[in-house]
Amino acid sequence: MTQALDINDLTAHYGSTKVLEDLSLSVGASELVSLLGASGCGKTTTLRLIAGFLEPTEGTIRLGGRDLTRLPAHKRDIGLVFQNYALFPHLTVLENVAFGLKQRGVASGERDKRARAMLDRVGLSVLAERLPGALSGGQKQRVALARALVIEPPLLMFDEPLSNLDAKLRVDMRVEIRQLQRANGTTSVYVTHDQEEAFSISDRVAIMNAGRIMQFDTPEVLYQRPTNAFVARFVGFENLIPLRTVARDGEMVTVEAAGGAQLTLSQERFGPIPDAFTLATRPDGLAVTPEAGADGLPATLGLRTYLGRAYQYQCETAAGHLVANGALSAPLEPGGTARLVPVPDQCCVLAGTEL
Amino acid sequence: MTTRLSPALIAVAALVYIFLVGPLIIVIGASLSDTTYLTFPPQGLSLRWFEKIFEITAFRRTIVTSLQLAFLATGLALLIGIPAAYALNRYRIQLPSWLSTVFVLPILVPEIVLGFSLLKSVAVGASFPIFLSLLIGHTLLVLPYCVRVISASLASFDFSIEEAAISLGSPPAKTFFTIVLPNVRAGVVAAFILAFITSINDVSTSLFLTGPGVSTLPIQILAHVEQFFDPTIASVSVLLMFLTVAVMAIVERTLGLTFLAK
Amino acid sequence: MFKRYTGWTLALPATLLVALFLVLPVAATIGTTFVDAKGVLAPYVTFFSSGFRRTVLWRTLEVSLITTAISLVLGFLTAFVVSRAPGRLKSILIIAAVFPLLTGVVVRSFAWLIILGKNGILNNFLVGIGLTDEPFSMLYTQGSVIVAMVYLFTPLMILTLVGVLENIPEDVIQASASLGASPSGTFRQVIFPLAVPGLIVGAVLVFTGSFTSYATPQLLGGERQMMMGTFLYQRAMVNFDWVGASTIAAIMVVITVAVVLAMTRIAKRLNPMTT
Repeated sequence: MTQALDINDLTAHYGSTKVLEDLSLSVGASELVSLLGASGCGKTTTLRLIAGFLEPTEGTIRLGGRDLTRLPAHKRDIGLVFQNYALFPHLTVLENVAFGLKQRGVASGERDKRARAMLDRVGLSVLAERLPGALSGGQKQRVALARALVIEPPLLMFDEPLSNLDAKLRVDMRVEIRQLQRANGTTSVYVTHDQEEAFSISDRVAIMNAGRIMQFDTPEVLYQRPTNAFVARFVGFENLIPLRTVARDGEMVTVEAAGGAQLTLSQERFGPIPDAFTLATRPDGLAVTPEAGADGLPATLGLRTYLGRAYQYQCETAAGHLVANGALSAPLEPGGTARLVPVPDQCCVLAGTEL
Repeated sequence: MTTRLSPALIAVAALVYIFLVGPLIIVIGASLSDTTYLTFPPQGLSLRWFEKIFEITAFRRTIVTSLQLAFLATGLALLIGIPAAYALNRYRIQLPSWLSTVFVLPILVPEIVLGFSLLKSVAVGASFPIFLSLLIGHTLLVLPYCVRVISASLASFDFSIEEAAISLGSPPAKTFFTIVLPNVRAGVVAAFILAFITSINDVSTSLFLTGPGVSTLPIQILAHVEQFFDPTIASVSVLLMFLTVAVMAIVERTLGLTFLAK
Repeated sequence: MFKRYTGWTLALPATLLVALFLVLPVAATIGTTFVDAKGVLAPYVTFFSSGFRRTVLWRTLEVSLITTAISLVLGFLTAFVVSRAPGRLKSILIIAAVFPLLTGVVVRSFAWLIILGKNGILNNFLVGIGLTDEPFSMLYTQGSVIVAMVYLFTPLMILTLVGVLENIPEDVIQASASLGASPSGTFRQVIFPLAVPGLIVGAVLVFTGSFTSYATPQLLGGERQMMMGTFLYQRAMVNFDWVGASTIAAIMVVITVAVVLAMTRIAKRLNPMTT
């Protein structure tokens, strides 16, 4: 039943506006892939193209060897879970779940049995005869999930399925979704703007921006090794420092920041360092030290805030505004000067200096 | 309610309501009078003027014509108005914004001008039969109500529900009937009632399009008033009111009148 | 699902009906007034050089404006009471305002024939209390037309305004009171300005309705109180002067459309919610 999804060079327009450009994406059989990005990044467009609600101007969509690109939506056999549940208000919970089976010509007795079994799996069998209006948000989303799963689709897609739920329920539901998906081994595409949600639920995540995939990898790699400034910023690398190499001495490379401050970085610890690059760090990746001689960027300290595990400093440097964390044991006074020293394990070297 | 209303204001409102409801009560009263002239309060109660309606062939015929017209025009307007309303909501990006204005034109253009223009181009110019001309006029007249009321219903319909059905394998045309239509039923019924009432009471458009042998009830009443001033007019007016109320009652039975309060 | 023309296909039948049987015929009607053998604007010269026709136009405008003004005042005051009435009473009042609207223009105008006639209820009453020996002739006067039209259109005004007034949140009114405004001050300075867009919508409905009415002026005004609607009918069906009738039709269309467009624009500008 499980099939792989292959999207090749997909381009789409709304009227004359290009909303998706040469997008390619492969989702392996039984894999759950998230499309993550801010609104307008093209993630929902991609989902609607796969579902068949939009027509691409170019490119192909294949599911397990079947070409879906020109197939009408109702023949695609894809399970969909919507943000606002999209339950049929005039049908009972059971009728909602049985709807897809009815379209497939399943006899009514069998239909009922399978729908009830599915409702049982999401723990809602007692509500089978209710109308959706009488359910809570979480129950509605379970019905929607049951409705999509009962047709045993080769591909399951989720469009921001949890964003209408409160925070606690969101976490419970995402575990539930992941468990059901794992148990059935259904290939899945999951659209969300919530980074934590995407990272926690997915095998791999595609971070999207302006109709393109910026990076497609496992959550671990995305979180620790972004490959470009957009993704770096997206996953919380607040400091992006453009640097230029001025001298190389074996493993050691001397680099210069805007304003002329120089640092020496070890390629052994920071990885290969090109001639022009951007050093990306989270606040934890810049250590604040009062030592004037330290190998770091000179900075003037601004506002200090208490994070519990560290102090955070707003710093002004010749290379711009940076945010750095300093040890609780040695609080520094705002207004003083300090050095910001990059911490090797927590820095990323990004090619190019374009931010 | 926390806002205190001044007694003077309440008195004004009460008088306005007497002004609104009073004349209708007077018509009903006059229709029951036993006299040969119109009077109120009725002198002696009798239903004979209601019997009289059916003795007058012209009334009998026009009642039938008016009912036929109202049902057919409303049906036709719904038949073409529902797809139009659906298109306006579902395919908004595809369609030019002026299109919704087109469907309001029959309200914007004075009815009497529409009637006269249809007389010139359709009834006389193209020699359409009288009933057909009337049907065209009435369908146009009620189309805006159908499109607007159903559009309003569709505007609050979540189209992802339709997409959910399609993704589950229901073909789009079938989905419209099994999923979309049942969820805008209240709008369709409201549109039906508004359209029916508009058609059955219409004067200005029908005025020019009625002809030898084919007329509508309101036009016949107008013609009758100019010749006779007897209680038949009151009773036929009451009959027209009753027809309206009957339609409302049927709807009230099935759906409730709450939509009117919106 | 995809097809680029699905929307158009669905909207096509209704669009065609309006285009073929409304836009074209009305355009043709207006068009004939510009291709008259006697000169380009001859029908309009004829219209505006006739004292009688100018009087008809003027009377129609006057009656419509007075009707609009009276319905505005009555409708606004009543709608305010309705909008602040407790739930159950409110529904009854709304249905009571809807009911006359469901009854046709002919029936409702006819009611005033019974009331205002020589042997009508009002005259019987006046004679009965000895206020007068001779019954007044109240029919076929401007007053009788206006009374019937106010009767006709006030429910429409009430319903339009109830919707608007209900949307004014109670806490806005309470805020005004807490800042020291008297009830009448709140009414004038808070409620009225917020209701202005609704008043304009209602005014447009009543004005265009009165301006283009036929049955009411026909029954209660007769030949003596000829208005644009009845005059159009007379030119077309009694005198068979189709160019004259078309000219009246064109003037009605222009004035109606101009009023609607102008007032819509003003309503948009005055709407405190959008600025």
